Amino acid sequence: MAENGWLPESLREQLRSVGDVDILVGIPSFNSAQTIGHVVRAVQAGFAKYFPEERTLLINSDGGSTDGTPEVVRSASINDYHTILAAHPLRPVHKIITPYHGIPGKGSALRLVFGVAREVNAKACAVVDSDLRSITPEWIDLLISPIYREGFDFVAPLYHRHKYDGTITNSIVYPLTRALYGKRVRQPIGGDFGFSGRLAEHYLAHDVWHTDVARFGIDIWMTTMAITGGFKICQSFLGAKIHAAKDPGADLSAMLMQVVSSVFSLMEAHQGHWKKIQGSEPVPTFGFEYTVGLEPIRVNVDRMLQIFRTGLRELGPLWEKILTPETFQEITRLGDADEKSFRYPPSLWVRTIYDYAVAYHKVVINREHLLKSLTPLYLGRIASFVLETPEADADDVERLLEDLCQEYERMKPYLIQRWES
Amino acid sequence: MDGPFTDAVMTTLEKFYEGLERFLPNLFAALVIIAIGWLVAWVLKKLIRRTLVLARFDQFCDSTGASQMLARADIRAAPSECAGRFAFWIVFISFLMIGLSALNVGVIDRLIAEFFMYLPKIFAALLILFVGFLIGNFLSRAALLAAVNANMPSPRAISLVVKFLIAILAFAMALEQLEIATSIVTAAFIIAFGAVMLGLAIAFGLGGRDVARRVLEKQFLEKQEQEPDEFSHI
Repeated sequence: MAENGWLPESLREQLRSVGDVDILVGIPSFNSAQTIGHVVRAVQAGFAKYFPEERTLLINSDGGSTDGTPEVVRSASINDYHTILAAHPLRPVHKIITPYHGIPGKGSALRLVFGVAREVNAKACAVVDSDLRSITPEWIDLLISPIYREGFDFVAPLYHRHKYDGTITNSIVYPLTRALYGKRVRQPIGGDFGFSGRLAEHYLAHDVWHTDVARFGIDIWMTTMAITGGFKICQSFLGAKIHAAKDPGADLSAMLMQVVSSVFSLMEAHQGHWKKIQGSEPVPTFGFEYTVGLEPIRVNVDRMLQIFRTGLRELGPLWEKILTPETFQEITRLGDADEKSFRYPPSLWVRTIYDYAVAYHKVVINREHLLKSLTPLYLGRIASFVLETPEADADDVERLLEDLCQEYERMKPYLIQRWES
Repeated sequence: MDGPFTDAVMTTLEKFYEGLERFLPNLFAALVIIAIGWLVAWVLKKLIRRTLVLARFDQFCDSTGASQMLARADIRAAPSECAGRFAFWIVFISFLMIGLSALNVGVIDRLIAEFFMYLPKIFAALLILFVGFLIGNFLSRAALLAAVNANMPSPRAISLVVKFLIAILAFAMALEQLEIATSIVTAAFIIAFGAVMLGLAIAFGLGGRDVARRVLEKQFLEKQEQEPDEFSHI
């Protein structure tokens, strides 16, 4: 195909020898030798157990790993299917290991997966992270079957997580995406997705592969493009998500900046779409949902409040440019509260995020500085949430999250009015 | 009344008349050039102001802190207006110089030649100061944000040091560009820069030895005590 001219000729050669496939699973990777073997075996077992008669292909799109990741993928296989599945796959599982080209990042890796999907006319595709420790063969069924058997175009993941896990998703990305685009996709940046060949084609039609989407914004971009493109969307409950421990020194500020800038950039691109939407609707959910008890975990609220208060003292002039006078005044008043009575109310938090979105849109100050100045406010909100919910269980936390989401939806006219002023 | 006296007066008057005859067209040409210069400068000022307003230059200056710098210097006009006025005076002075050169006066010609030779240096120096100011503001704000987010002590002081060092560097570069006492400026810069660093080292190492120890101990112990959160933000 002429459109796939950017795929390396050697890869196209391999794909020609494989021929058309029904199901494609992509694993983007970079230095994941310790975990990727398990992921590859889970995918192979998933193919054998749930799609034994289909033509399947596993593609590892690697970013130039130096720890032997491609070798691990090459050697990972299930030799004894009987002990795992009590059945053999009826067709061979094809496996291709290839480096991707372009800007280093997950987006470039997935672009290659989309290109391969088009080349082999895949009917249903999925991508899973290479650092997963909790992936099981069922994940492949849960991500692929809604597309292959039920006619959906996009499957978002739904995980069981600790009540304090995914705080950026819970306090910003999920409620904001839901309020903007009207679909309740609980994990819009989950990282593991299912999608149809038609949707892969739609992704490839957009030339974003030299932007931040190629580096770090691919997850929210995929979700948003699926929603705004009018594709059939659902989510699948995958259970717990456990992945290899990230670098403990990873900079929260940089992470927050990347995630929020991706969401805000998409707001700019799709403003014609989200301004018309009111309220939100649930999306169909597959899989068997369950909850488990919560183990206490260490959360350093003191440190969060310390950073919030330092921000209040040092970043006031910057925040005054970004926030409305009312929002800024209310935040300033929070500084007087002691630890026990410290509360960052949902309505104030929503106004904070909407003010930031507008400031980003109007380029009030340098965008990188703008987003980095959000960190102390975010930590203030998280500290408040932790102080509010010491005894809360997962259901209580979900209820609070639902209240926050409704606040985002209720205040959407405020966002639109300020956006257009 | 014939005689040498009359001849002398007449000759002088004739010479004066001849001189005036030669000078008046030059003067007229100079006045016309200056008038045209004023008109061109005025049109250019309006054009620059309008273009900068459309390009949201004032908002850019607000966001980079250039407006605040002007306000501190008691310049209340909008940055686009300032840029327009600056262009007006540069163009007008240039035309003024061209006009004066039309008078064909040797001393003025020499001064004008020197002025035009020096003009690019003034531009370069102003540009260095402006860019230095922008970079200083940008980096000091980046340092402030990084220090606040990393929960470091005295973020404001860190940010001010960054700003101060870049300002010194830009100022020294601008003076060097203007060729004002180059060797003294270079030496002064090296001495000042070295003195600041040495001063900081001595203040921290000797004068503030106890404070330094306390700060380091606090930082180190806090780092040890404050184990990372066990939840994932993403």
